[in-house]
Amino acid sequence: MTRAMLFVLLLLAAGCGFIGRTLQRNLDAPTEPAKIANKIRDPRRADARLAVLWVGHATALVQMDDIFVLTDPVFTRTVGQLSPRLVEPGLDPDDLPPLAAVVISHMHFDHLSYDSLAMIEDKTPVLLLPPGAKASVPRYAFESRELDRWESYEAGGVRVTAVPVRHVGGRWGIDQAWNPRAFTGYVFQYRGLSVYFGGDTAFDRDRFQETRARFPDLSLALLPICPTEPRDFMRRTHMDSLEALEAFSVLGARTMVPVHYDTFINSDDRPGDCRRLLLEHMRERNLTGDEIAVLAIGEQRVIIAR
Amino acid sequence: MAALLVTLAFAFARVARAEEASPAVRVSPAAALGIWTFAQLIPSPLYVATSDRVGGGVRWQITPFIYSFGVAARPVRAFIIEPVARHTGAIELYGSPEWACCAPGQETSWILRGGARLYLPLIGRGEALTGSLGGSYYRAAGGDGASIEAGIHVLFSTLGITVTVSPRLTGREVITALQIRYF
Repeated sequence: MTRAMLFVLLLLAAGCGFIGRTLQRNLDAPTEPAKIANKIRDPRRADARLAVLWVGHATALVQMDDIFVLTDPVFTRTVGQLSPRLVEPGLDPDDLPPLAAVVISHMHFDHLSYDSLAMIEDKTPVLLLPPGAKASVPRYAFESRELDRWESYEAGGVRVTAVPVRHVGGRWGIDQAWNPRAFTGYVFQYRGLSVYFGGDTAFDRDRFQETRARFPDLSLALLPICPTEPRDFMRRTHMDSLEALEAFSVLGARTMVPVHYDTFINSDDRPGDCRRLLLEHMRERNLTGDEIAVLAIGEQRVIIAR
Repeated sequence: MAALLVTLAFAFARVARAEEASPAVRVSPAAALGIWTFAQLIPSPLYVATSDRVGGGVRWQITPFIYSFGVAARPVRAFIIEPVARHTGAIELYGSPEWACCAPGQETSWILRGGARLYLPLIGRGEALTGSLGGSYYRAAGGDGASIEAGIHVLFSTLGITVTVSPRLTGREVITALQIRYF
Protein backbone atom coordinates (compact mmCIF):
# COMPACT_ATOMS: atom_id res chain seq x y z
CA MET A 1 0.00 0.00 0.00
CA THR A 2 2.76 2.39 1.01
CA ARG A 3 4.73 1.66 -2.12
CA ALA A 4 1.64 1.98 -4.32
CA MET A 5 0.92 5.42 -2.92
CA LEU A 6 4.56 6.39 -3.31
CA PHE A 7 4.43 5.31 -6.93
CA VAL A 8 1.28 7.36 -7.61
CA LEU A 9 2.78 10.43 -5.94
CA LEU A 10 5.97 9.92 -7.89
CA LEU A 11 3.99 10.01 -11.13
CA LEU A 12 2.24 13.19 -9.99
CA ALA A 13 5.56 14.74 -8.99
CA ALA A 14 7.32 13.81 -12.21
CA GLY A 15 9.69 16.59 -13.07
CA CYS A 16 9.33 18.27 -9.69
CA GLY A 17 13.05 18.09 -8.96
CA PHE A 18 13.79 17.59 -5.30
CA ILE A 19 10.34 16.20 -4.41
CA GLY A 20 10.42 13.74 -7.28
CA ARG A 21 13.95 12.60 -6.40
CA THR A 22 13.06 12.13 -2.74
CA LEU A 23 9.96 10.11 -3.60
CA GLN A 24 11.97 7.98 -6.01
CA ARG A 25 14.63 7.27 -3.40
CA ASN A 26 11.96 6.33 -0.87
CA LEU A 27 10.42 4.00 -3.45
CA ASP A 28 13.84 2.42 -4.02
CA ALA A 29 14.52 2.03 -0.29
CA PRO A 30 14.56 -1.47 1.23
CA THR A 31 11.14 -2.61 2.42
CA GLU A 32 12.63 -4.02 5.63
CA PRO A 33 14.60 -1.76 7.97
CA ALA A 34 18.08 -2.88 8.96
CA LYS A 35 18.13 -4.84 12.19
CA ILE A 36 20.04 -3.76 15.25
CA ALA A 37 22.13 -6.44 16.89
CA ASN A 38 22.06 -6.68 20.67
CA LYS A 39 19.36 -4.11 21.14
CA ILE A 40 19.26 -2.68 24.64
CA ARG A 41 16.32 -4.03 26.63
CA ASP A 42 16.85 -2.16 29.87
CA PRO A 43 18.09 1.38 29.24
CA ARG A 44 18.34 2.29 32.94
CA ARG A 45 22.01 2.85 33.72
CA ALA A 46 22.88 2.64 37.40
CA ASP A 47 26.39 3.90 36.63
CA ALA A 48 25.22 7.10 34.94
CA ARG A 49 24.30 10.57 36.08
CA LEU A 50 23.72 11.52 32.44
CA ALA A 51 23.27 9.07 29.58
CA VAL A 52 21.73 9.18 26.15
CA LEU A 53 20.40 6.41 23.93
CA TRP A 54 19.89 7.31 20.28
CA VAL A 55 16.71 5.59 19.11
CA GLY A 56 17.07 7.03 15.60
CA HIS A 57 16.36 10.28 13.76
CA ALA A 58 15.45 12.91 16.42
CA THR A 59 14.35 10.33 18.97
CA ALA A 60 16.67 10.10 21.96
CA LEU A 61 16.18 8.77 25.45
CA VAL A 62 17.93 11.02 27.93
CA GLN A 63 18.63 9.72 31.43
CA MET A 64 19.35 12.33 34.10
CA ASP A 65 20.06 10.48 37.34
CA ASP A 66 16.82 8.60 38.01
CA ILE A 67 14.54 10.29 35.48
CA PHE A 68 14.09 9.96 31.71
CA VAL A 69 13.01 12.36 28.98
CA LEU A 70 12.20 11.23 25.44
CA THR A 71 12.56 13.51 22.42
CA ASP A 72 10.42 13.52 19.25
CA PRO A 73 9.41 9.86 19.51
CA VAL A 74 9.15 7.97 16.23
CA PHE A 75 8.93 4.19 16.43
CA THR A 76 6.85 3.53 13.32
CA ARG A 77 7.88 1.68 10.15
CA THR A 78 7.20 4.78 8.06
CA VAL A 79 6.81 8.48 8.58
CA GLY A 80 4.01 10.30 6.84
CA GLN A 81 2.70 6.88 5.75
CA LEU A 82 5.17 6.94 2.89
CA SER A 83 8.81 7.24 3.90
CA PRO A 84 10.12 3.89 5.15
CA ARG A 85 12.54 3.49 8.02
CA LEU A 86 16.05 2.53 6.99
CA VAL A 87 17.00 1.17 10.41
CA GLU A 88 14.70 -0.25 13.03
CA PRO A 89 14.19 1.82 16.21
CA GLY A 90 17.17 1.58 18.53
CA LEU A 91 14.87 0.82 21.44
CA ASP A 92 11.52 -0.92 21.51
CA PRO A 93 8.80 1.28 22.98
CA ASP A 94 7.85 -1.51 25.38
CA ASP A 95 11.36 -1.30 26.85
CA LEU A 96 11.08 2.37 27.71
CA PRO A 97 11.23 3.14 31.41
CA PRO A 98 8.62 5.46 32.93
CA LEU A 99 9.27 8.94 31.51
CA ALA A 100 9.23 12.32 33.21
CA ALA A 101 8.17 13.97 29.94
CA VAL A 102 8.06 13.59 26.18
CA VAL A 103 8.90 16.62 24.08
CA ILE A 104 7.90 17.44 20.52
CA SER A 105 9.98 20.04 18.70
CA HIS A 106 7.55 20.65 15.82
CA MET A 107 4.74 19.05 13.90
CA HIS A 108 6.43 17.53 10.86
CA PHE A 109 5.71 13.84 10.37
CA ASP A 110 9.23 12.74 11.29
CA HIS A 111 8.94 14.46 14.69
CA LEU A 112 5.27 14.24 15.65
CA SER A 113 4.17 10.64 15.06
CA TYR A 114 0.65 9.87 16.23
CA ASP A 115 1.15 6.10 16.16
CA SER A 116 4.38 6.38 18.11
CA LEU A 117 2.71 8.46 20.79
CA ALA A 118 0.01 5.80 21.03
CA MET A 119 2.73 3.20 21.63
CA ILE A 120 4.04 5.10 24.66
CA GLU A 121 0.73 6.41 25.94
CA ASP A 122 1.16 4.71 29.32
CA LYS A 123 4.81 5.74 29.74
CA THR A 124 4.56 9.50 30.25
CA PRO A 125 2.38 11.90 32.20
CA VAL A 126 2.89 14.78 29.80
CA LEU A 127 3.59 15.67 26.18
CA LEU A 128 5.20 19.07 25.72
CA LEU A 129 4.56 20.93 22.48
CA PRO A 130 5.40 24.22 20.78
CA PRO A 131 2.74 26.96 20.63
CA GLY A 132 -0.19 26.09 18.40
CA ALA A 133 0.67 22.41 18.05
CA LYS A 134 -1.91 21.03 20.45
CA ALA A 135 -4.67 21.46 17.88
CA SER A 136 -2.77 19.07 15.61
CA VAL A 137 -2.38 16.34 18.22
CA PRO A 138 -4.88 13.56 18.84
CA ARG A 139 -6.27 13.07 22.30
CA TYR A 140 -4.20 10.66 24.41
CA ALA A 141 -4.25 9.47 28.00
CA PHE A 142 -1.40 11.84 28.91
CA GLU A 143 -1.69 15.60 29.23
CA SER A 144 -0.69 17.61 26.16
CA ARG A 145 0.72 21.00 27.05
CA GLU A 146 2.08 23.82 24.90
CA LEU A 147 5.13 25.75 26.06
CA ASP A 148 5.77 29.22 24.73
CA ARG A 149 9.32 30.48 24.31
CA TRP A 150 11.19 30.48 27.67
CA GLU A 151 8.15 28.99 29.38
CA SER A 152 8.88 26.03 31.65
CA TYR A 153 7.14 22.87 32.78
CA GLU A 154 8.14 21.58 36.18
CA ALA A 155 7.25 18.35 37.94
CA GLY A 156 9.12 16.06 40.30
CA GLY A 157 12.21 18.23 40.23
CA VAL A 158 12.48 18.18 36.44
CA ARG A 159 12.25 21.45 34.58
CA VAL A 160 11.73 21.56 30.81
CA THR A 161 12.04 24.97 29.17
CA ALA A 162 11.16 25.85 25.57
CA VAL A 163 14.04 27.65 23.88
CA PRO A 164 14.16 29.45 20.53
CA VAL A 165 15.39 27.72 17.38
CA ARG A 166 14.91 28.49 13.72
CA HIS A 167 12.62 26.22 11.76
CA VAL A 168 9.01 26.21 10.53
CA GLY A 169 5.64 25.40 12.05
CA GLY A 170 2.78 23.55 10.46
CA ARG A 171 2.31 19.94 9.47
CA TRP A 172 0.40 19.95 6.23
CA GLY A 173 2.05 22.75 4.28
CA ILE A 174 -0.21 25.76 4.24
CA ASP A 175 -0.91 25.52 7.97
CA GLN A 176 2.51 27.12 8.42
CA ALA A 177 0.62 30.33 7.73
CA TRP A 178 -1.48 30.11 10.89
CA ASN A 179 1.05 28.14 12.96
CA PRO A 180 4.04 30.47 12.60
CA ARG A 181 5.34 29.73 16.10
CA ALA A 182 4.88 25.96 16.24
CA PHE A 183 8.54 24.98 16.50
CA THR A 184 10.94 24.99 19.43
CA GLY A 185 13.98 23.55 21.12
CA TYR A 186 14.10 22.53 24.77
CA VAL A 187 16.40 22.50 27.76
CA PHE A 188 15.87 19.78 30.38
CA GLN A 189 17.21 20.45 33.89
CA TYR A 190 17.44 18.05 36.79
CA ARG A 191 19.71 18.01 39.85
CA GLY A 192 22.26 20.35 38.32
CA LEU A 193 22.29 18.66 34.91
CA SER A 194 21.20 20.59 31.81
CA VAL A 195 20.51 19.06 28.42
CA TYR A 196 19.75 20.97 25.23
CA PHE A 197 17.60 19.46 22.47
CA GLY A 198 17.58 21.43 19.22
CA GLY A 199 14.81 19.52 17.44
CA ASP A 200 15.12 20.66 13.86
CA THR A 201 16.85 23.98 13.41
CA ALA A 202 18.81 26.10 11.04
CA PHE A 203 21.92 27.79 12.35
CA ASP A 204 20.92 30.91 14.27
CA ARG A 205 23.75 32.39 16.30
CA ASP A 206 21.53 34.90 18.10
CA ARG A 207 19.10 32.27 19.34
CA PHE A 208 21.87 29.94 20.45
CA GLN A 209 23.57 32.81 22.27
CA GLU A 210 20.30 33.76 23.96
CA THR A 211 19.96 30.18 25.14
CA ARG A 212 23.53 30.07 26.41
CA ALA A 213 22.96 33.30 28.32
CA ARG A 214 20.10 31.67 30.20
CA PHE A 215 21.65 28.20 30.41
CA PRO A 216 25.39 28.76 30.71
CA ASP A 217 26.23 25.28 31.94
CA LEU A 218 24.84 22.81 29.41
CA SER A 219 26.08 19.30 30.02
CA LEU A 220 24.90 17.95 26.70
CA ALA A 221 23.50 19.23 23.39
CA LEU A 222 21.49 17.01 21.05
CA LEU A 223 21.91 18.72 17.70
CA PRO A 224 20.65 17.83 14.21
CA ILE A 225 23.25 17.51 11.45
CA CYS A 226 21.00 16.59 8.52
CA PRO A 227 19.33 16.99 6.01
CA THR A 228 21.70 19.20 4.08
CA GLU A 229 21.04 18.79 0.35
CA PRO A 230 19.95 20.59 -1.73
CA ARG A 231 21.79 23.10 0.43
CA ASP A 232 20.20 26.27 -0.94
CA PHE A 233 16.81 24.84 0.00
CA MET A 234 17.78 23.20 3.30
CA ARG A 235 19.97 25.99 4.69
CA ARG A 236 16.93 28.01 5.74
CA THR A 237 15.62 25.25 7.98
CA HIS A 238 18.43 22.78 8.75
CA MET A 239 22.01 22.88 9.95
CA ASP A 240 24.70 20.85 8.28
CA SER A 241 27.48 19.14 10.23
CA LEU A 242 29.77 22.15 10.24
CA GLU A 243 27.01 24.47 11.43
CA ALA A 244 26.05 21.96 14.12
CA LEU A 245 29.62 22.02 15.43
CA GLU A 246 29.49 25.82 15.44
CA ALA A 247 26.16 25.71 17.26
CA PHE A 248 27.73 23.37 19.81
CA SER A 249 30.49 25.91 20.31
CA VAL A 250 28.09 28.85 20.61
CA LEU A 251 25.87 26.96 23.07
CA GLY A 252 28.93 26.14 25.15
CA ALA A 253 27.79 22.60 25.92
CA ARG A 254 30.34 20.12 27.21
CA THR A 255 29.27 17.25 24.93
CA MET A 256 27.30 17.02 21.70
CA VAL A 257 25.35 14.07 20.38
CA PRO A 258 24.43 14.45 16.70
CA VAL A 259 20.92 13.35 15.72
CA HIS A 260 18.51 13.53 12.79
CA TYR A 261 20.37 11.53 10.17
CA ASP A 262 20.55 8.09 8.51
CA THR A 263 17.07 6.99 9.61
CA PHE A 264 14.68 8.24 6.91
CA ILE A 265 15.10 9.64 3.40
CA ASN A 266 13.95 13.25 3.36
CA SER A 267 16.57 14.97 1.23
CA ASP A 268 19.18 14.47 -1.48
CA ASP A 269 21.67 13.24 1.14
CA ARG A 270 22.77 9.63 0.90
CA PRO A 271 22.78 7.61 4.12
CA GLY A 272 26.17 8.13 5.70
CA ASP A 273 26.88 11.50 4.05
CA CYS A 274 26.11 13.68 7.07
CA ARG A 275 27.96 11.42 9.51
CA ARG A 276 31.02 11.28 7.23
CA LEU A 277 31.08 15.08 6.92
CA LEU A 278 30.73 15.44 10.67
CA LEU A 279 33.70 13.14 11.28
CA GLU A 280 35.77 15.10 8.72
CA HIS A 281 34.94 18.41 10.38
CA MET A 282 35.71 16.93 13.79
CA ARG A 283 39.18 15.92 12.57
CA GLU A 284 39.79 19.39 11.12
CA ARG A 285 38.83 20.97 14.44
CA ASN A 286 40.63 18.42 16.58
CA LEU A 287 37.40 17.50 18.31
CA THR A 288 37.40 14.15 20.05
CA GLY A 289 34.78 11.54 20.68
CA ASP A 290 34.52 12.79 24.25
CA GLU A 291 33.27 16.14 23.00
CA ILE A 292 31.24 14.88 20.04
CA ALA A 293 29.70 11.52 20.87
CA VAL A 294 28.73 10.02 17.51
CA LEU A 295 26.39 7.17 18.36
CA ALA A 296 25.05 4.34 16.26
CA ILE A 297 21.30 3.89 16.28
CA GLY A 298 20.53 1.87 19.38
CA GLU A 299 23.78 2.82 21.10
CA GLN A 300 23.73 4.23 24.59
CA ARG A 301 26.51 6.44 25.94
CA VAL A 302 27.18 7.50 29.50
CA ILE A 303 27.99 11.20 29.24
CA ILE A 304 28.58 11.77 32.97
CA ALA A 305 29.26 8.77 35.17
CA ARG A 306 28.31 8.58 38.82
CA MET B 1 -19.76 34.02 3.25
CA ALA B 2 -19.67 36.15 6.41
CA ALA B 3 -18.90 33.07 8.48
CA LEU B 4 -16.10 32.15 6.11
CA LEU B 5 -14.58 35.62 6.36
CA VAL B 6 -14.78 35.58 10.17
CA THR B 7 -13.11 32.17 10.26
CA LEU B 8 -10.33 33.27 7.97
CA ALA B 9 -9.82 36.43 10.01
CA PHE B 10 -9.40 34.38 13.21
CA ALA B 11 -7.11 31.88 11.54
CA PHE B 12 -4.78 34.47 10.16
CA ALA B 13 -4.82 36.71 13.24
CA ARG B 14 -2.27 34.31 14.69
CA VAL B 15 0.06 35.29 11.88
CA ALA B 16 0.45 38.66 13.53
CA ARG B 17 2.56 37.01 16.22
CA ALA B 18 4.83 35.40 13.68
CA GLU B 19 7.32 38.25 13.86
CA GLU B 20 8.25 37.24 17.37
CA ALA B 21 9.01 33.66 16.36
CA SER B 22 10.48 34.53 12.98
CA PRO B 23 10.08 31.18 11.25
CA ALA B 24 12.71 30.17 8.74
CA VAL B 25 10.18 30.09 5.93
CA ARG B 26 7.07 32.20 5.82
CA VAL B 27 3.84 31.27 4.12
CA SER B 28 1.95 34.52 3.77
CA PRO B 29 -1.74 34.62 4.65
CA ALA B 30 -2.51 35.54 1.05
CA ALA B 31 -0.59 32.52 -0.25
CA ALA B 32 -2.23 30.23 2.28
CA LEU B 33 -5.66 31.59 1.40
CA GLY B 34 -4.89 31.11 -2.29
CA ILE B 35 -3.78 27.50 -1.76
CA TRP B 36 -6.75 26.79 0.49
CA THR B 37 -9.12 28.23 -2.14
CA PHE B 38 -7.40 26.24 -4.86
CA ALA B 39 -7.74 23.11 -2.72
CA GLN B 40 -11.48 23.69 -2.39
CA LEU B 41 -11.75 23.96 -6.16
CA ILE B 42 -10.16 20.57 -6.84
CA PRO B 43 -13.10 18.35 -7.74
CA SER B 44 -13.60 14.79 -6.65
CA PRO B 45 -14.30 12.66 -9.74
CA LEU B 46 -17.55 10.69 -9.77
CA TYR B 47 -18.47 7.37 -11.30
CA VAL B 48 -22.18 6.98 -11.97
CA ALA B 49 -23.34 3.51 -12.83
CA THR B 50 -26.84 2.23 -13.47
CA SER B 51 -28.07 -1.02 -14.93
CA ASP B 52 -28.04 0.35 -18.46
CA ARG B 53 -25.26 2.94 -18.63
CA VAL B 54 -22.20 4.47 -17.08
CA GLY B 55 -21.52 8.16 -16.57
CA GLY B 56 -19.09 10.48 -14.88
CA GLY B 57 -19.14 13.67 -12.92
CA VAL B 58 -17.43 15.93 -10.43
CA ARG B 59 -18.17 17.00 -6.86
CA TRP B 60 -16.92 19.80 -4.68
CA GLN B 61 -17.35 20.26 -0.96
CA ILE B 62 -17.24 23.06 1.55
CA THR B 63 -17.27 22.32 5.28
CA PRO B 64 -18.68 25.17 7.37
CA PHE B 65 -18.60 23.17 10.59
CA ILE B 66 -16.81 20.20 12.06
CA TYR B 67 -16.72 18.87 15.59
CA SER B 68 -13.70 16.67 16.09
CA PHE B 69 -13.83 14.37 19.06
CA GLY B 70 -10.34 13.03 18.53
CA VAL B 71 -8.09 16.08 18.86
CA ALA B 72 -6.49 17.44 22.01
CA ALA B 73 -7.54 21.04 21.37
CA ARG B 74 -9.85 23.21 19.26
CA PRO B 75 -12.48 20.55 18.52
CA VAL B 76 -14.75 22.95 16.65
CA ARG B 77 -13.43 24.24 13.34
CA ALA B 78 -14.98 25.88 10.34
CA PHE B 79 -14.04 25.93 6.66
CA ILE B 80 -10.32 25.46 7.27
CA ILE B 81 -10.20 21.83 8.34
CA GLU B 82 -6.84 20.27 9.01
CA PRO B 83 -6.87 16.55 8.10
CA VAL B 84 -6.25 15.56 11.73
CA ALA B 85 -9.60 17.06 12.68
CA ARG B 86 -11.29 14.58 10.34
CA HIS B 87 -9.31 11.39 10.63
CA THR B 88 -9.17 11.26 14.43
CA GLY B 89 -12.97 11.13 14.49
CA ALA B 90 -15.45 13.88 13.73
CA ILE B 91 -18.88 14.95 12.68
CA GLU B 92 -18.99 17.47 9.87
CA LEU B 93 -21.69 19.45 8.13
CA TYR B 94 -21.03 20.07 4.49
CA GLY B 95 -22.41 21.65 1.38
CA SER B 96 -21.68 19.99 -1.91
CA PRO B 97 -22.39 21.06 -5.46
CA GLU B 98 -21.93 18.28 -7.96
CA TRP B 99 -22.47 17.51 -11.58
CA ALA B 100 -23.30 13.88 -12.19
CA CYS B 101 -24.05 12.74 -15.68
CA CYS B 102 -26.72 12.38 -16.57
CA ALA B 103 -30.20 13.17 -15.41
CA PRO B 104 -32.54 11.44 -17.87
CA GLY B 105 -35.11 13.80 -19.37
CA GLN B 106 -33.87 16.83 -17.40
CA GLU B 107 -32.26 20.08 -18.53
CA THR B 108 -29.42 19.95 -16.06
CA SER B 109 -27.42 17.32 -14.25
CA TRP B 110 -26.39 19.55 -11.37
CA ILE B 111 -27.15 18.45 -7.82
CA LEU B 112 -26.87 20.52 -4.65
CA ARG B 113 -26.40 18.67 -1.39
CA GLY B 114 -26.32 19.53 2.27
CA GLY B 115 -25.35 16.77 4.61
CA ALA B 116 -23.65 15.44 7.68
CA ARG B 117 -20.86 12.92 7.83
CA LEU B 118 -19.35 10.93 10.68
CA TYR B 119 -15.65 10.00 10.47
CA LEU B 120 -14.38 7.10 12.52
CA PRO B 121 -10.66 6.35 12.87
CA LEU B 122 -9.93 2.72 12.03
CA ILE B 123 -6.14 2.35 11.84
CA GLY B 124 -3.43 4.57 13.27
CA ARG B 125 -5.73 7.20 14.76
CA GLY B 126 -7.26 7.42 11.31
CA GLU B 127 -4.05 8.41 9.56
CA ALA B 128 -3.85 5.07 7.77
CA LEU B 129 -7.56 4.31 7.48
CA THR B 130 -10.74 6.14 8.34
CA GLY B 131 -14.33 5.07 7.78
CA SER B 132 -17.22 7.44 7.19
CA LEU B 133 -20.99 7.28 7.25
CA GLY B 134 -23.29 10.08 6.25
CA GLY B 135 -26.59 11.32 5.04
CA SER B 136 -27.58 14.25 2.88
CA TYR B 137 -30.51 16.06 1.40
CA TYR B 138 -30.24 16.97 -2.25
CA ARG B 139 -31.94 19.26 -4.71
CA ALA B 140 -31.85 18.23 -8.33
CA ALA B 141 -33.86 18.75 -11.46
CA GLY B 142 -36.67 16.28 -11.29
CA GLY B 143 -37.07 16.32 -7.53
CA ASP B 144 -35.46 16.56 -4.12
CA GLY B 145 -34.63 13.65 -1.89
CA ALA B 146 -32.41 12.00 0.66
CA SER B 147 -29.17 10.07 0.26
CA ILE B 148 -27.05 7.89 2.46
CA GLU B 149 -23.37 7.25 2.00
CA ALA B 150 -20.44 5.22 3.29
CA GLY B 151 -16.76 5.63 2.63
CA ILE B 152 -13.22 4.67 3.47
CA HIS B 153 -10.31 7.09 3.46
CA VAL B 154 -6.53 6.72 3.48
CA LEU B 155 -3.46 8.96 3.62
CA PHE B 156 -4.66 11.15 6.50
CA SER B 157 -8.16 11.10 5.01
CA THR B 158 -7.04 13.09 2.00
CA LEU B 159 -8.03 10.30 -0.41
CA GLY B 160 -11.17 8.24 -0.13
CA ILE B 161 -13.85 6.26 -1.86
CA THR B 162 -17.43 7.13 -0.95
CA VAL B 163 -20.57 5.53 -2.26
CA THR B 164 -23.71 7.64 -2.20
CA VAL B 165 -27.07 5.96 -2.60
CA SER B 166 -30.09 8.07 -3.55
CA PRO B 167 -33.06 5.75 -4.21
CA ARG B 168 -35.17 8.45 -5.83
CA LEU B 169 -32.51 10.12 -7.94
CA THR B 170 -33.45 8.46 -11.17
CA GLY B 171 -30.55 7.35 -13.31
CA ARG B 172 -28.06 8.29 -10.62
CA GLU B 173 -29.12 6.11 -7.75
CA VAL B 174 -25.56 5.07 -6.93
CA ILE B 175 -22.69 7.52 -7.24
CA THR B 176 -19.15 6.52 -6.35
CA ALA B 177 -16.68 9.30 -5.65
CA LEU B 178 -12.93 9.33 -5.45
CA GLN B 179 -12.96 11.82 -2.64
CA ILE B 180 -10.05 14.23 -2.66
CA ARG B 181 -9.78 16.47 0.39
CA TYR B 182 -6.88 18.54 1.64
CA PHE B 183 -8.09 21.24 3.99
